[in-house]
Amino acid sequence: MLFLKKYNKYKHPYITTSIIILIILIFLSLFAPVITDYSPVRNHPRDRLQPPSRKHLLGTDQFGRDVFTRILYGIRASMQVGLAVVILTMITGGIVGIAAGFYPRIDKVVMRFLDAMMAFPGIIIAISLAAIWGAGKFNIILALSFAYFPRMARIVRSSVISIKDLDYVESARAAGARDSRIILKHILKNSASPIMVQATFNFALAILDEAALSFLGVGIMPPTPSLGAMVTDARSYMVVAPWMILAPGIMIILAVLSLNLLGDGLRDLLDPHLKNTIKN
Amino acid sequence: MRKEIKITSVVLLVLMFSLLLSGSVLAQEEERYGGTLNAALQMSVAHLDSDNSTDSMITAMMNHVYEGLFEFDKNLKVHPYLAKSYQVSEGGLVYEVKLRENVMMHNGQTMNADDVIASFRRWLEINNGGKLVAPHFDQVEKIDQYNIRFTFKDPYAPFLNILASPVSNQKFVVRAEEVVKEFGTDIIERHVGTGPYKYEEWVPDQKLVLTRFEDYTPSSRESSFFAGERIPYLDKIVFNFIPDAQVRVSGVRTGQFQFAEEVPREQYQIFKRNENIKNEIIYPDRMSMLIFNSSEAPFDNKYARRAIAYALDFEELGYAMIGDTQFWRLESALHEEGNPWHVPDAGEGIYGVYDPEKAKQLLEQAGYNGQPLVILSGQDNQMERQGAIAIQDQLEKIGIEVELQLFDRPTVVEKRSKPDGWHMHLSPFIKVVPDPQIHQGWTGTNKWITNWDSKDSRQMDQIFAEMLREVDYEQRYKIVERMQAELWDSVPYFNILDYSRLHIRRTELKNFKSGWQPFFWNTYLE
Repeated sequence: MLFLKKYNKYKHPYITTSIIILIILIFLSLFAPVITDYSPVRNHPRDRLQPPSRKHLLGTDQFGRDVFTRILYGIRASMQVGLAVVILTMITGGIVGIAAGFYPRIDKVVMRFLDAMMAFPGIIIAISLAAIWGAGKFNIILALSFAYFPRMARIVRSSVISIKDLDYVESARAAGARDSRIILKHILKNSASPIMVQATFNFALAILDEAALSFLGVGIMPPTPSLGAMVTDARSYMVVAPWMILAPGIMIILAVLSLNLLGDGLRDLLDPHLKNTIKN
Repeated sequence: MRKEIKITSVVLLVLMFSLLLSGSVLAQEEERYGGTLNAALQMSVAHLDSDNSTDSMITAMMNHVYEGLFEFDKNLKVHPYLAKSYQVSEGGLVYEVKLRENVMMHNGQTMNADDVIASFRRWLEINNGGKLVAPHFDQVEKIDQYNIRFTFKDPYAPFLNILASPVSNQKFVVRAEEVVKEFGTDIIERHVGTGPYKYEEWVPDQKLVLTRFEDYTPSSRESSFFAGERIPYLDKIVFNFIPDAQVRVSGVRTGQFQFAEEVPREQYQIFKRNENIKNEIIYPDRMSMLIFNSSEAPFDNKYARRAIAYALDFEELGYAMIGDTQFWRLESALHEEGNPWHVPDAGEGIYGVYDPEKAKQLLEQAGYNGQPLVILSGQDNQMERQGAIAIQDQLEKIGIEVELQLFDRPTVVEKRSKPDGWHMHLSPFIKVVPDPQIHQGWTGTNKWITNWDSKDSRQMDQIFAEMLREVDYEQRYKIVERMQAELWDSVPYFNILDYSRLHIRRTELKNFKSGWQPFFWNTYLE
């Protein structure tokens, strides 16, 4: 693996920090039911707005639900949405990008269509789709994937175009390889780095936008915890129960920051042109 | 002789002392006058003609400029205001109203029967309250300058209460005849009333300025909310329209405003710690109402509807929906304690009885097949959103599957008007209604969104028909009791609790009474 080899060589500090944070977050979201005894949705209204204590590490919200528990399950939802969106955009964006890059005839039509889509900010497309399809985790995933895939398609396309005229592709074709073989064996493998970098950024963006959609009320439906919806609810209690807004806010920052750092680090590592800059 | 001198001197001294005392009382009374009040209200209004709009903010502000023939006291009991007295005769067909004499209007003339009749005809034609009355109404006649006769075609018991109604677009106020003639049914832009304050300036979306009416003629009755004596201590009242709650709050903190309407209840404790700010919890004027869709199973059966009342812990809902106990109270009756229509034993045996076992048993009796129940609710209003989440939680705890559907208001309004697709809907109702007849609008066969159509609903229609014709209070109260009993028996909807809103004021604003609409007569600045 090229990535591991390079990582061992350079020991990029961004990547190390972000991977540590990500591992902690993934651990928390995977083992949420083991870490906490509380239910993320059951109410105990008589214990509402309790400040952080030993019983409730990060206090309770307006329904008396444990904020720490809700955050664990909230990260879980964020991670699920992020991962699903990344996979979906990689598949759809990948297919469209390769088709456009490899077959110039498709390119002209498809890319103009994608240009038109990219004229709108992604979040606006996602909000309108979520509003049409209705709220819910599945619909958010679809809406966000739809909003992000044009950018992914563009990146794949440009790397396909730059690779497909290289000598080794030409020689493969001369040797009689079929298009599918050339695409899978030569082009896809060599355009993996920009796709990976973009996927990492998409992951971060998906978490942030899921929070934004839930904040606006078109995201994950209550009572299922979502970091964004927790921030919305906490707004009206900000002055009396600051822990309610700080905890999910910090979690969103941590997740997005670590993914962005990871993306930056990967780009440094994998981009041959930047290779020399990270030595010092 | 010497003794006499002694007694006279004592008497003289006492006299002098009491004179001094009364002087200082007068001086204190005098000191109350003056100052400009800056109030922050939450919404701007389109115009200032209360007959032409359903916006209750218009009524709230123009209550200072216009007054009614009748006004409500703090228990929603109706009292004559511009009327001096009245008499009902011929089984509720004829109302003879005697007006107060020498009441000055803002145009320098005194109010007389012509003003009242002109305003009344306009009210009957375009005001929603007037439109309720119109089908039953025959004619209004002038007996003399200060006596008017209202004649009905058939008895209409809620008449006086509708005249004084605090609900938006119902109240009848007296305007000068010349103004009514000038504008007809168009929106009135020149304001001549009898109120303690007169119209000075209106900057749309920004402010309304009212100044004291120096020749104001107060009522001699005891003051209680909108009824009785009104004294305009303040020189000027400026209503500022500030839509953002936090801006209203900071305005009061800095002293820019002396009063702010509807601020976040959650900040109560913080205001309490601030010595310049006083919390004003409003008279609980809202009800949280759970409405069933009676056309769809399982709630087409009244036992299933009753089951939900047993399945919910109302007190816990209070904490989850509203929060601090100062802002809500359990109340089973549609009219609260103190109100003339309060029925103390409404819902006895079902209201506030938390009995999940009985709930399950009733659901079984109703043939509930375990299908998920859909709660449709708004997500912009705290009570609706948090209430729906809490109800879902409570029902799931006892094993009923619930699907929560939270939407923005227009979507909710659209969805709830359909006969299927929802089972329960949580909605705030206004508690301060002028008359029990008002409930007819949403209670009965296929009324409002209930889709309630059964033997029970037709019985309810019958009860309201009787209520409409009965003018005797005692008899009518008995009908209201029957209405409440029927309501808790067949439960097309039920009220979970009453809740309040929160206003704040600066401590220098004195004698403020927290009515369902803010008013500033009798208040003064120190």
